Amino acid sequence: MRIMITREQERKARQDKRFISKETQTAAKYLRSIDELSGAPDGMKPFLDTLNRIYVEMQGLNATQKTIGTYCVIAPQELIYAAGAVPVKLCSGNYTAFFVGDDIAPRDACPLVKAVAGFKNTGLMPVYEDCSLMIVPVTCDCKKKIAGMLSEQCEVMTMHIPTSKGDDEIDEFVSQLYDMAARLEDITGNQVTYDSLAEAFRITGRAQYELSEFIRLKKGNPYLIRGTHAMTIMNAAAYMPAEQWADALHSVNDSLKNKEKSGRLVTNKKLPRILLTGSPIVFPNMKIPLLIEEMGGIVAGDETCMGERGLYDPPVITDDSFDGMMRALANRSLRPCPCPTFADNSQRIYRLKQLIKDNDIQGVIYHVLRGCLVYDFEYKRIEEELGQLGIPVIRLESDYNEEDVEQLRIRIEAFIELIKLKQEPEKRKTGRRYL
Amino acid sequence: MKIKKKIIIAALSCAVLGTIAYFAYVFPFYEFEQNDYDTSLDKILSLDYLKTLAPLFIIIGLSAIGIVTTVCLRKQMLKKDKTYSRFAGREKSGNAPKQKPVPFMVIRWIMMIGFGFMMIWGGLIFGLKMSSVSIPILSCPWNTEQMTESSCYYLSHLNELFELPIKSILLFFGSTLLFIVLLGRTICGFLCPMGLIQDIMDKIRQKTKTEGISANEKLYSTLTPIKWAMLLIFIGLCFVGGNFCNFCPAVAVSPILAGMSTSLYVSGFLMIFVLIGGFFKRRLFCNICPLGYLIGLFHKISLFRIQKDCTACTECGACYEACPMGIKQIYTERNKTNVTDSNCIMCGECVKCCPEDKALSLTCAGINLYTSSRKDIMSGYTPKKK
Repeated sequence: MRIMITREQERKARQDKRFISKETQTAAKYLRSIDELSGAPDGMKPFLDTLNRIYVEMQGLNATQKTIGTYCVIAPQELIYAAGAVPVKLCSGNYTAFFVGDDIAPRDACPLVKAVAGFKNTGLMPVYEDCSLMIVPVTCDCKKKIAGMLSEQCEVMTMHIPTSKGDDEIDEFVSQLYDMAARLEDITGNQVTYDSLAEAFRITGRAQYELSEFIRLKKGNPYLIRGTHAMTIMNAAAYMPAEQWADALHSVNDSLKNKEKSGRLVTNKKLPRILLTGSPIVFPNMKIPLLIEEMGGIVAGDETCMGERGLYDPPVITDDSFDGMMRALANRSLRPCPCPTFADNSQRIYRLKQLIKDNDIQGVIYHVLRGCLVYDFEYKRIEEELGQLGIPVIRLESDYNEEDVEQLRIRIEAFIELIKLKQEPEKRKTGRRYL
Repeated sequence: MKIKKKIIIAALSCAVLGTIAYFAYVFPFYEFEQNDYDTSLDKILSLDYLKTLAPLFIIIGLSAIGIVTTVCLRKQMLKKDKTYSRFAGREKSGNAPKQKPVPFMVIRWIMMIGFGFMMIWGGLIFGLKMSSVSIPILSCPWNTEQMTESSCYYLSHLNELFELPIKSILLFFGSTLLFIVLLGRTICGFLCPMGLIQDIMDKIRQKTKTEGISANEKLYSTLTPIKWAMLLIFIGLCFVGGNFCNFCPAVAVSPILAGMSTSLYVSGFLMIFVLIGGFFKRRLFCNICPLGYLIGLFHKISLFRIQKDCTACTECGACYEACPMGIKQIYTERNKTNVTDSNCIMCGECVKCCPEDKALSLTCAGINLYTSSRKDIMSGYTPKKK
């Protein structure tokens, strides 16, 4: 009997070892490709270091406070900071964990959820293990079931996300935020007060301020920074305390301003400007943005929830009281959110149109994770709407493995060639003028 | 069933309102032995002034009592509620991030205070040079010393209007219409003393960090029939033998402050309602103001507009939360550039709260007066220099 148990343990240890080595290898590989990409602004190091620490060195957050895991940007970070804890976004893009989760979750579940299940099952990832509480806003069926799975191993709080954004829904969500604050208080032992919430607003507000500066700089000149780098920065925000992240982003902004002044752009060539939208792109699943840049395009904008969308909208306090701030949070979380979990999501189309206008986008790549139904549903309408603007759209379905890289490469290459073909005459005209 | 119930309640409240308005003079709030409409600067500086101010003190005192009891009652009610009770009564000494004052808002406050001052003591100090001009404003014309005439008196006493000489009628309509076209409901947001009082109440609430009533469609939909009833009373009361002035809350402010001893009837009670309501819900009375509604009818030809860049809007709803008039289409509109509503009082609150660059702007005859900008919104969050 004992022999059996030790054998079992040995097998588990071997499995764990294999998992760790594979996990660190993939993460290190993608970090290297991002690092090797030309035209990175100065000050990228803290972001890469953070991702390296979490995924390659496999360390926790190194925070003295308790960490609270969230699975969606709808759960407001401000409340977590107000309770004296640090939020960490746990949506995962990990291939190795995906393979583990593949056996646990049903076949048609989305890879993001499978990866989360995998991480939690192996119990090896410190970021996941350190969490005192996981907050899972139920934005789709997969999230709902993963909440149930996670609750077997750790504290989980689910949040009900309404399907529309009327006044009653906002009121209902406010009371959920109160519940969330109460739960956070129980776990951290700190009180959420007017003062601590105001301080939390300042902390995240500063990060949002830096982000809006960053977006403004990017908007002005699409060749100032590669979208892959921007996405790396946004992904690192998941594992960095907001203050630290804002500091790091501040130095990136400074370097971007210098670059703009001196005219040192990523490239002098006119690369096709691509907008990436659809299912979240989470490190290390960076194959699509990397492929776009590799194939001679530039990711000029992204509309994904691990990207700029997550932090973009600031909470606006219209009523200076504790309840008013809670309402501001609820309002910010729901109303501007172009998440396909809402029944009527036509505002996503407007958001896309605005991004296209602001960033001078030439083509849209619509990323769909296999099994991510809500995003897949919206593709048709967006294709139609953007088709009227004359913007080509392509739907790329991918999974968390590297088997489809070649296929993706061919499709992205063809798409970029198509855009180049379209912009050719204009380019020649300007060329002649300069001659 | 629910709708039926709502209609009955609305109809009942309108009927009650109408009856109160008709019999307004039967309910004296504060009666002087003799109403004295003579005033002078000397009187204001003498001790007699305090005597005329007595009803005002009573109103302020009663409103304060009303506000405090409401807050206490709410606390009691919240004690039973599990979700909210644990957060109640905690210390709030700090400050929430607040954006730096923008020129538009500063000008608005200066205008409101300055004009409010002129409408009360203007005539006493500067003389009645503009008294033949009528502005559609809810500033009591019983105060004969105000700088300009208010149209509200003749609009609510139409039978008296047509007994005037034709020149006066023309002057009345001419100046009223001119102001409506030129300014529209900007009058409500910039000039009206009733608006000033309510804005001050709102400022007090924000300073004391008391929770208010949040924007809710249901509240506004119940206010709409009341607004129409008010309009009916405002215009029709003179024909059935009533006097709107006994009912109008504005009577309780300017004549008294100008040093006139004025007996108050239902208007005194209403003023308490205006103050308490304005404390918890910004500009509650403006939502049912009959004169404001009349001006609002002409919003399509007025020069002031709220313009929206629909592609820049993210539908974050901050404008709706901030709007004291509960105008929802300002954030749901996705096609038109002109989002001016008949209820809009041009207070600029939506533009102030809009986090998107150039998404909302307040224009006058095509000239941009105030444009939303993310930088302004984030100015409260800018890092402190270490």
